[in-house]
Amino acid sequence: MLSAAESTALAISLKVALLSIVVALPFALALGLALSRLRFPGKSVLEALLNLPLVLPPVVTGYALLLLFGRNGAIGAWLGTFGIQFAFHWSGAVVAAVIMSFPLLVISIRAGFDGVDRRLEAAAESLGAGPWRRFLSITLPLSRRSVLAGCVLAFARAFGEFGATISFVGSIPGETRTLSIAIWELLNQPGGETGLGRLVWVALLVGVAASLFAALLGRRSQANGAAHD
Amino acid sequence: MLLFRLIGPLLLLLAAVVPARAGGLLVFAASSMKPALDEIVALPETKAIAGITISYGASSALARQIEAGAPADVFISADLEWMDWLQQRDHIAAATRFVLARNELVLVAPAASKLEFTLDAKTDLRGALGDSRLALAEPGSVPAGKYAKASFEKLGLWPQVETRYVATENVRAALALATRGEAPLAAVYRSDAVSEPGVRVVAAFPASSHPPISYPAAALKDRDSAATKQWLALLQGPEARTILRRWGFRDAASD
Repeated sequence: MLSAAESTALAISLKVALLSIVVALPFALALGLALSRLRFPGKSVLEALLNLPLVLPPVVTGYALLLLFGRNGAIGAWLGTFGIQFAFHWSGAVVAAVIMSFPLLVISIRAGFDGVDRRLEAAAESLGAGPWRRFLSITLPLSRRSVLAGCVLAFARAFGEFGATISFVGSIPGETRTLSIAIWELLNQPGGETGLGRLVWVALLVGVAASLFAALLGRRSQANGAAHD
Repeated sequence: MLLFRLIGPLLLLLAAVVPARAGGLLVFAASSMKPALDEIVALPETKAIAGITISYGASSALARQIEAGAPADVFISADLEWMDWLQQRDHIAAATRFVLARNELVLVAPAASKLEFTLDAKTDLRGALGDSRLALAEPGSVPAGKYAKASFEKLGLWPQVETRYVATENVRAALALATRGEAPLAAVYRSDAVSEPGVRVVAAFPASSHPPISYPAAALKDRDSAATKQWLALLQGPEARTILRRWGFRDAASD
């Protein structure tokens, strides 16, 4: 079985990955909708910026986060005046996970919104449904599979995140030492192989479980959708 | 199938763009040696022996790559443990092994910091840290972190540090935290502090408080050609020693 330190690392990873989706989802939905439905100046620049975390080496992203959100960073110093501090705190690992998984979430959600039949939205509007109602009863339900797929991708990305996290919040046992970081540490120890094997199995199990969960939800929502049609 | 018809030309193309390494030596060396080794490799004496390519990385990663069959000729490790690990697995030419240099462990602070103290059992690290953390390389696995932890334990300071440190991926990242002022103190090698104007050495860890910090070098098994041996001899010569000293390393024989 897992040692106390190992299960703590697993718990931190799960906490950080799940929370990062909760934090990122509202923003990703809003941005996905804007990118899918609106035309505005600077749209392609925004898209390019959005994809940066996918392109840059994660350690660079982590270093950029440190420069921005560190206690001496541009944003970090300002947040510090409100007593909010990300550096060397587990919430900083959430920030890193959000940034790293955000592009995957937005790309997937946007594709879903793109695929919604606009005539259905128009019909709802002609029947007097406001923008919120249209979004919640037409657009979102019809693109639920893409949203779900985005969440699973984002979870996987956040759960496996290593480079940005260790550059930004370091490895503090019980605070920011995630499963990925624990695995990396064991890989760097002569004789770390036994613990390493255990943790790799745990990571595999979590990954497979997430995929199965997504497939199950996808099938259920498909069945529900068929019943409604 | 189209795919199969493409494979042949693709392989040929690959062979053309990825030339086999021509004649020179491939050296696997710990990242912390980079500034000094780059200079030694640029010496005309080195160039007379062979073209040398150096792959820098964490000693642990390099050792595991060598065990997996990486075609390196020389390994320079940042600690004895990984060299021993390879030797036990019979991957190095034991007769060629020697200690290339030693290093010192120091506490650095951001250049603007006013901190002033010596490291001994009575040092108030908590006070020096305030509400922030001490940066050190991961103490469970990265050599610089292991030495720092051993030293803090020996001095009886570990209880002060244990809940107040932030571990980094390597010693350079710990240095960067001090340079950026994110951490008021960082435990790094003297050689790292020498090459970073953004930090100031506050105190040296007493050499007796941790195992000696040695950089062993050796040719790998069946790779101890004449050229390899010649270059290893050059590494121990006066010119290489001067360069190593300039970058903050100490002579192997110094303690």
